[in-house]
Amino acid sequence: MKKFEIAWKTLLFLLLCFVSVAGIAFPIVENPVHWYQYPVIKGLEENAKIIFFHVPTAWLTVIAFLMSTIYSIKYLRKKNLDDDAKSYSAAQLGIIFCILATITGSIWSKFAWGAFWSWDPRQTSIFALLLIYGAWFALRSSIESEEKRATLSAVYSIIAFVTVPFFIFIMPRIMIGLHPGAEEVVNGKLVQSSSPVIDFQMNSSMLLVFFLSLAAFTILYFWMWNLGYKSLIYKDRIQKQITRG
Amino acid sequence: MNGFYEFLHDNAIYIVTFIVLIVWVGIFFYLNNLDKRMKSIEKDIKGDKNEK
Repeated sequence: MKKFEIAWKTLLFLLLCFVSVAGIAFPIVENPVHWYQYPVIKGLEENAKIIFFHVPTAWLTVIAFLMSTIYSIKYLRKKNLDDDAKSYSAAQLGIIFCILATITGSIWSKFAWGAFWSWDPRQTSIFALLLIYGAWFALRSSIESEEKRATLSAVYSIIAFVTVPFFIFIMPRIMIGLHPGAEEVVNGKLVQSSSPVIDFQMNSSMLLVFFLSLAAFTILYFWMWNLGYKSLIYKDRIQKQITRG
Repeated sequence: MNGFYEFLHDNAIYIVTFIVLIVWVGIFFYLNNLDKRMKSIEKDIKGDKNEK
């Protein structure tokens, strides 16, 4: 068990070191010859490197909110407060990664579209998502009774997650926007704009770094989630021990 | 001194990479430290239960 833990921690450390170096320092050239060169993606050019950091944060936002909902359902079925702690910890990380996705996205949009914020459908939808989950934390902090708080926030979390696929996957794709993958008008016709991730415009080394980045960030998320929910559970147990004397 | 500024100007991307690496190493060791502390608390709690 100890060996396994050392192995995955070393793997995570090395993976993110490699992704940091490869994602930032590897050059983008017109015709890649060496394995460490990336091709020019039309419309993105040098900005394409942010894919390695922006997409994983958006991916983890969805994973975290999904896990929060799964543990909310579990709580409602078994009424175990540990499940509520797991759901809360996942949502905390979800909101952190959602903010990171918004920040990296707006930096990207500054260089690609000319402004940090332009109320593009993608930006508007992530803003709405931040508000929905922000309200969830406000709801949690306003209820003192543990069981009542856990039940209400579990129900809210399930309802909130229903909006996630619409805001992240559907709405930005069916509306006219600037984000890759959105609808755009070409010669008077509405067409789907090309997305470097979905349409695989990247070469094999770029794809490798991209998927390694996704894997590394996912491992990092699970580590942070594990620490987060354990700290909540132990804090609760110690507090109960103190009040009992 | 001018040479140093020129080096910084010409190699900005490597300096960014270096800073990102330092930040990641910091986050990793912070999380690892937190993990160790959490395990010692876990041991204490389990020990208390066994004593009772």
